Amino acid sequence: MGLKGDGVVDRDATGASQRPRPHRRGRGELEAQVLSALREAPGPVDTAWVRERLGGSLAYTTVITILTRLLAKGVVTRQRSGRSFVWAPTADEAGLAALRMRRLLDGESDRQAVLASFVTSLPPDDERLLRELLGRAEEPED
Amino acid sequence: MSMGVFFFLPLVLPLTAWPVARLAEQRLHPRTATVLLSVTAGVLAVCSTVCLALLVVVGTAQLPGNPLPDGWSDPEVRAAVPFDEIAGKASIPALVAVLAACSRTLWAHRRVRRRALRALEGLRDSSVAVLPDEVPYAYALPGGPRRTGRIVVSTAMLSCLEGHRERRALFAHERAHLVGKHHRYLLVVRLAARANPFLRPLRTAVTYTTERWADEDAAEAVGSRRAVARAIGKAALVSRGAPAVTLAHLAAAGPVPRRVAALLEPAPTVRRWPSVFTAVGLAAWTAAAGTTVSALSSASSAVTLFLVLKAATPL
Repeated sequence: MGLKGDGVVDRDATGASQRPRPHRRGRGELEAQVLSALREAPGPVDTAWVRERLGGSLAYTTVITILTRLLAKGVVTRQRSGRSFVWAPTADEAGLAALRMRRLLDGESDRQAVLASFVTSLPPDDERLLRELLGRAEEPED
Repeated sequence: MSMGVFFFLPLVLPLTAWPVARLAEQRLHPRTATVLLSVTAGVLAVCSTVCLALLVVVGTAQLPGNPLPDGWSDPEVRAAVPFDEIAGKASIPALVAVLAACSRTLWAHRRVRRRALRALEGLRDSSVAVLPDEVPYAYALPGGPRRTGRIVVSTAMLSCLEGHRERRALFAHERAHLVGKHHRYLLVVRLAARANPFLRPLRTAVTYTTERWADEDAAEAVGSRRAVARAIGKAALVSRGAPAVTLAHLAAAGPVPRRVAALLEPAPTVRRWPSVFTAVGLAAWTAAAGTTVSALSSASSAVTLFLVLKAATPL
């Protein structure tokens, strides 16, 4: 059940009629590519420009979907321009990765299973003890 | 009857691993302690689960509606298990719960790793990913067969560390997790704790010893125990707003002050065990012997039950 929505976009099951692509790109990778295309743009650009920039192999709707997802994350902005939207970036790729990582850290109670954290939480008694110990650690090295 | 209780031993013998967990955590080199405790937890968990599965077979094969062959529940075998019917019935939900909990743990492990790797997609492929975030965090993200592991650290975490030595300490610590493949030990003890709740103290102990192991490796890499101690202490103080993920600490001090205190002491020796002729040594040896006997008798009772079953089944 939970495996869905986690994997790669455009799996075979979603539509056999889709054009075969030379390289199946993950959702995260596509988001990053769309964002970097926007960052290379001279100013706010429309969806067709982004699609062209990415080589034109992606479906127009796919590009719109990704842009909308980036908008929901607050990484891009859009403005109406005539009958369509123009898009502009507000963050870079590292900012996008940071957002995604924060979502994972905030939402996953199981994260300790995989991600060994540098430090764990600190109860008040531990904090007092730790400050004392740090005082000792600050002394010059022998 | 005398033989019967024997069959339940693998379920309760993990209790004997508690003293050895405590001693190993405090007295052994963290690397030795991690390996020893993980292997012990793994063996005891497998024995306990096999025992549970065999109880299900013996206790329920003759119940009406059970699809298992009647021969698998020979009267002779049943006679050897005390309260065979109750034990058999009770072991069904227990086994289901164990299997469900273990699958969930494995699945969560894969999901978190995949999500984390995906979050970093599109970034330059380097071993360290620095993410602009005002929340301080640092993680070692294990790789897979095709990807190498990466260190993920936020700008807030880096800015709380002073000087390149403390930052190097942080990176060396996380790199030690990746190089030592600590996530595997952590997964083993987590699964073991799911399989038999009596093994939870081993999970807690290994969670601590892997951190200590990485601290020691970092201290060696940086060439200063105090720099590592300072890095841990400062990181903990800026992260202290984080919600508590562990239960209330029963010990006098939590893991972070204990790690810092350990780094302010001289490096632990790699010598495996203390001498038998000291109080600590005697306790350590007794506890180790107890754990070994538990593991062996767990294994042997599982094997015995299996052989009895096999003899009773005309194949």
